[in-house]
Amino acid sequence: MANERTDLMQGTLELLILNTLARESMHGYGIVQRIHEAAEDLLKVEDGSLYPALYRMEERGLIKSEWGVSENNRRAKFYKLTRTGQRKLEAERANWNRISKAVSKILQAT
Amino acid sequence: MKNAIANLFTLPKRKETAFEVQEELQFHIEMLERKYAQQGMSAARAKAAALQRFGNVERVKKQCVDISRRNSPLRRVLKILSIVIAITGLVIQTLSSDYKVARIGGMLIMIAFFGRLLLYVRGLKPWSFLPGTKRTFLTDSPDDGART
Repeated sequence: MANERTDLMQGTLELLILNTLARESMHGYGIVQRIHEAAEDLLKVEDGSLYPALYRMEERGLIKSEWGVSENNRRAKFYKLTRTGQRKLEAERANWNRISKAVSKILQAT
Repeated sequence: MKNAIANLFTLPKRKETAFEVQEELQFHIEMLERKYAQQGMSAARAKAAALQRFGNVERVKKQCVDISRRNSPLRRVLKILSIVIAITGLVIQTLSSDYKVARIGGMLIMIAFFGRLLLYVRGLKPWSFLPGTKRTFLTDSPDDGART
């Protein structure tokens, strides 16, 4: 199974994070878990790589963070989508759909 | 509102930022350890597996601290201030017919330009030039005051 896992395409981690936070605010661990679950562990995402991405997204105003209490009563930092992030998610989703449709068409044509 | 104003004028401290980042990463690693322990691994194996899955903790921590400090409210204010000074300088220089006044405009543009340049020097803390503060760079030890 391990060698069947695929590296995440550059830039897609941001889309996955935005999509994961669209439903509810979450801490970093929760976000990674949700991504792994949704991808059925087929994607290779190093957990640590999530955090610089989260910090950069916060810097750009796509998400905002707040310290809170986790499900096991530990202090944890929760992230949630901002309006800018919501708009970015919609744009990125549309962009992703266009790209994947175009690539599929090319692959089918050859 | 009070908090927002207080945050704006609070000089970000590297130790505090590093501590918060460390706390956040530590939480993640502990959650992984717990998950692996629940799957039947011994404490030592669970810890090793958690660290392996997380990746290079120190590198991630340093990246996060650098980004976090780049994003400080003071830094953002300084960026906006440099733009305002540059525009003011440009307006003075363009509209003034007096040579001496026009020179003030030119000086303002230069101040804004070099101020902005200082903000872009990687890791340089502009507030380190305030009296009574130690001049340091972000490339100093990433472990300052961090909980391990």
